[in-house]
Amino acid sequence: MRYFLRRLMHGTFLLVGVSILTFLFSTLAPGNYFDEMRLNPQISPETVAALRAQYQLDRPLPARYGRWVNALLHGDMGFSFAYNSPVAPLLWVRARNTLLLTVTATLIAWALALPLGIWSATTLGRLPDRAISGATAALLVIPDLVLAIGVLILAVRSGWFPAGGMTSAAVEGLSPVQRLRDLAWHMELPVLALVLSALPILVRHVRAAMAEVLDAPFLRAAASHGIPRRTLLYWYALRAAANPLISLFGFSVGALLSGSLLVEVVMSWPGLGPLLLEAILARDLYVVIGGVLCSTVFLVTGNFFADVLIYWADPRIRGRADA
Amino acid sequence: MMHRGGWKRWLIALAVLHGIIGCAGFFAPYDPAEQDRERPYLPPMKIRMVDTAGHFHFRPFFYGVHLGDGTFDQFEESTDQVVPLQFLVSGARYRLLGLMPCQKHLFGAPASRIYLLGSDAYGRDQLSRILYGGQISLLSGLLGAGLTLFFGLLIGAAAGFFGGWKDGLLMRVAELFMALPWLYLLLALRAFLPLSVSPLRAFFLIIVVIGAVGWARPARLVRGVVLSAKERDYVRAARGFGAKNGYLLRRHILPETSSVILTQAAILVPQFVLAEMTLSFLGLGVPEPVPTWGSLLASLQQYSVLVSYWWMYLPALAIVPFFLGYLGLASALQQDASTGKIEKAASGVRQ
Amino acid sequence: MSMARLSTFGRWLSCSLLLAGAGIASPPADGFPPQASSSEELLTLPGEIGKPGGRLIVSLRAEPKTLNPLTAADAPSQEVILGAMQADLVHINRATQLTEPALAKSWRVSPDGLQYTLTLRKGLRFSDGQPFDANDLLFTFRVYLDENVHATQRDQLIVGGKPITVRKLDEQTVVFQLAKTYGAGERLFDGLAILPRHLLEKPYSEGKLAQTWTLATPANQWAGLGPFRLKEYVPGQKLVLERNPYYWKKDTKGNRLPYLDEVVFLFVSNADAQVLRFQSGETDLISRLGAENFSVLSRQQKGYSMSDAGPGLEYNFLFFNLNEPGEKTSPDLARKMKWFHETKFRQAISQAIDREAIVRLVYQGRGAALWGPVTPGNHRWGDASIPHPPRSLEKARALLKEAGFTWTTAPDGRPTLVDSDSKPVEFSILTSSTNADRTKMATLIQDDLKQLGIPAQVVPTEFRSLLDRVTQTREYEACVLGLVSFDADPTAETNVWLSSGGRHLWNPSQAHPATAWEAEIDKLMEQQLVAPSFEPRKKLFDRVQEILAENQPMIFLASPDILAGAKNSIGNFHPAVLEPYVLWNVEQLYFKDASGNARP
Repeated sequence: MRYFLRRLMHGTFLLVGVSILTFLFSTLAPGNYFDEMRLNPQISPETVAALRAQYQLDRPLPARYGRWVNALLHGDMGFSFAYNSPVAPLLWVRARNTLLLTVTATLIAWALALPLGIWSATTLGRLPDRAISGATAALLVIPDLVLAIGVLILAVRSGWFPAGGMTSAAVEGLSPVQRLRDLAWHMELPVLALVLSALPILVRHVRAAMAEVLDAPFLRAAASHGIPRRTLLYWYALRAAANPLISLFGFSVGALLSGSLLVEVVMSWPGLGPLLLEAILARDLYVVIGGVLCSTVFLVTGNFFADVLIYWADPRIRGRADA
Repeated sequence: MMHRGGWKRWLIALAVLHGIIGCAGFFAPYDPAEQDRERPYLPPMKIRMVDTAGHFHFRPFFYGVHLGDGTFDQFEESTDQVVPLQFLVSGARYRLLGLMPCQKHLFGAPASRIYLLGSDAYGRDQLSRILYGGQISLLSGLLGAGLTLFFGLLIGAAAGFFGGWKDGLLMRVAELFMALPWLYLLLALRAFLPLSVSPLRAFFLIIVVIGAVGWARPARLVRGVVLSAKERDYVRAARGFGAKNGYLLRRHILPETSSVILTQAAILVPQFVLAEMTLSFLGLGVPEPVPTWGSLLASLQQYSVLVSYWWMYLPALAIVPFFLGYLGLASALQQDASTGKIEKAASGVRQ
Repeated sequence: MSMARLSTFGRWLSCSLLLAGAGIASPPADGFPPQASSSEELLTLPGEIGKPGGRLIVSLRAEPKTLNPLTAADAPSQEVILGAMQADLVHINRATQLTEPALAKSWRVSPDGLQYTLTLRKGLRFSDGQPFDANDLLFTFRVYLDENVHATQRDQLIVGGKPITVRKLDEQTVVFQLAKTYGAGERLFDGLAILPRHLLEKPYSEGKLAQTWTLATPANQWAGLGPFRLKEYVPGQKLVLERNPYYWKKDTKGNRLPYLDEVVFLFVSNADAQVLRFQSGETDLISRLGAENFSVLSRQQKGYSMSDAGPGLEYNFLFFNLNEPGEKTSPDLARKMKWFHETKFRQAISQAIDREAIVRLVYQGRGAALWGPVTPGNHRWGDASIPHPPRSLEKARALLKEAGFTWTTAPDGRPTLVDSDSKPVEFSILTSSTNADRTKMATLIQDDLKQLGIPAQVVPTEFRSLLDRVTQTREYEACVLGLVSFDADPTAETNVWLSSGGRHLWNPSQAHPATAWEAEIDKLMEQQLVAPSFEPRKKLFDRVQEILAENQPMIFLASPDILAGAKNSIGNFHPAVLEPYVLWNVEQLYFKDASGNARP
């Protein structure tokens, strides 16, 4: 129990620190939304100043921060100047879109990485292992920016895939099944890009973790009991190798909101990434803070989740922690 | 059986690659900022040995180009204009490795202009831009990694060596930095800092920003090493003999961190080159007319370029050999470190 | 997504709908809106007769922040509102650039030019069926002029320092009283949406007007006099407008307009994404195209055709910081500002710039080089006597020499320009990082300046930061910007040319004109603001253009053509060079074939 409380406090401290940091950063920037209004000939400076005061941009910093934290605890994440709407609904919609991509990609990546890594570990040094290692090395060598652009080029040149976006225009008149198919069609390429960039690292870690476990004596003992190979691998060996993998999984969960920024921007997927970029460029203060906080929450939660999993899965940690 | 020192091969390969980029002035036929307003978006020129009449030429040559009638960007070869390729020509002035003023280029065509990899929107030679662009991107990565490792070493060593509340505080701050999604932090930092006037200042600003983001992980690794090194017998013995902290650090502890630092360097440099490329790609990097690999790719964000001018994809491939080299180096170093440990342990047991 | 896939489903659905009977204001059997009753005075529009029906799908750059005319300040909101949902008293025809009667069927100006008597059309109704009369007008202007409402229109309605007043003569006639004569005349009324009193009077009296018409307001609480009314708004995705059955225009055959059943605005923020959607047939129209995307689309015109409407009104320019150095100005900047203040320096730069290259490389030839703020797209206000000197580096060098600059040779062998104190001349040019065209122009200028020995830096800056630096902190050296007016008349740009204006970019919001020529421009602009007719105004504005050409506070560069495209099945597609480029005649657009985006 103490273990959990400690990790929880830890996480909270991180969140508070992050919120202060991001709030401070975003106030450094000059210029704001109302400058665009100033360039509109029909609006006088007095009108702009009045609207500015209405949005309270001229109060001192600590006051604004205090206000903001208070509002946050009531579920209000502030107001977006650029979108003229409260930040929270904006973020949820975008975060949902991002999660759609990243959850799918993470599941597929892990579903592929586990068998591939295990296969690689069991055939260490032989052809399958060499082929897989070669492929992962080749993928690792391609940075995600290049991967994302490559995927976009594929979409544009082949015409088989939509070159961006989440839905087609005429999505209204379609049945739910057709809408799902349309969504899946749009998701194929971004998910592919995300899986390809995540896969090599995962496969390597699984391979490394499994390779270490595979010559453990307890496995040989279990094998001599006549336990079938697949059970051996997945139930015994994998669990022993789980520790580093669970941390990695926690990290995967943590990166669910933030890892896809480049892919989203390149493929025009309406997720959190492009929103954040736009907000940064538009000096839309509360959206930036909201977005960074959101993804940090995920990261912290992911790590916490990993800690919980390790605690549950690994008796060694349990023993140490509760001591 | 693992070869010790396999990393040396990777290092040599990397040195050659960096050397080419470092001597970009020699390999590139033109100044990267030189515009040719008559030839925007020219496709790569074909080097030929045999002309359209079937005659073989000893000296490789290419055809001049002219604009197709009524079009803006459809170029055709002028088969009557044979322009020979010359080697070791005198061309635009440059400074070799930033020091020696030079004028010789590997190849060129004094009478006309040769575009081996095509031209961009202003008619600038893509090959030259890719070579010079590598200088900025790689330098950013190297300097950024250097800065990060310096901070990481400093903070990690301080945390591990002094321990206590200082350790706790430093590690908490490190976790704070690790908790932030690095790309988001990078963007936010960059965008909120003033965009400088000169490319030079922008360049250094980016290095500082990149370096400031990534120190946390190396710091933790260094701390780990320092913590274990601190407890070694010979260190305690030396302390018992009255050795000061500075001596201990310099002589015994910091050298232990060298393998971690080197491995981290091999991992971080490509990441930081990528960070610079990402920043430049998103428009937050070094401004015009200085080319970097990221800003060369930025034009691909326009649909019209993506669809019409395939040679603009090529800068994406430029980084791949470097990534390969660094990754190979990193894994070779890691293998070395683990074999080294095994051998050390084995030799310890034998004794 | 091909239409073929929809049609089976669509046919099934439309059958069942017809069987079930329809809901709101169902169209009669021939598809046209209800015929005009004899008591309505409709406006007859000349032009091609179209067929009723169809759903037009258009992409919009950004979601409108609001549809409330009082607070709408951003372009996408205005495009939707002005074009489709609202109507004004007198309208500027975007194609001819001249005024024509709209809600007011005629108007009379008093001999002293201070009174405008407008006669409204009889029997008109708002989109929700409520009648429209002069009381709505009075209410509308009361709201616009109310200081507590902070309407964006208020500043437009202050003529001669005093707000205009309006009073009712009878239910169909109103009189506007101005403090001073207004040169542009009835153009004043263009774009001023008339608000429905029956919906907004109560919130106004309670002081809750800004909260009333937000994007969250349900469709049945909106009313306007435009050809369409709000049907549905899906945040982040689209805005759907449906035909206003009470619209007050008809075609020459007597059919009530608009022809289209629905207009759907999709929010597609990315210009390239818009191109993709248009190419795949998802959207029917496309406008605000850059030259490069236009080329891509023109290459294969499958089922759609592209058109180049000629130069628009946008003018791009390079300008220098001509503010007076203050105590907060860094000495570096103050030193550079000395150069900028030198007229011959600016003239030299203007001579050195390769405008033809800009038109060729930035606009792919689809544009016009500019030497003044009036583009060839402006039919009436261009001054033919302004010189258009071709690019000449020798003349530029001569001018620089006259201004006291000389050249020295730098260590790397390149000639460098130095001023009279032997300091090298160099400066930075700000551009908006989101505007690729202007950044390109700046890069071309940078190269031109290199040939004069001036190393310039291009600094793409985030737009709002840029505005902040130009208009507030005044900390910049040079900048490339563009302006586009919603009207061809120079009155729309008064606060660009007046030295006290907020958009007088090189030295905004001056208390007194800083130079003699700026004082002269002030005088001329004020005179043309109140001059009674076109000819004297033109003469005055010609003189303004000449002064600008002599003193070059803005070095004009180029103007892009208005490029647009539409599916071949769309009739009456005539892009104009004034905004909204393709939707200005949305009430007359129609689908030539019956299957065009039929409503399911």
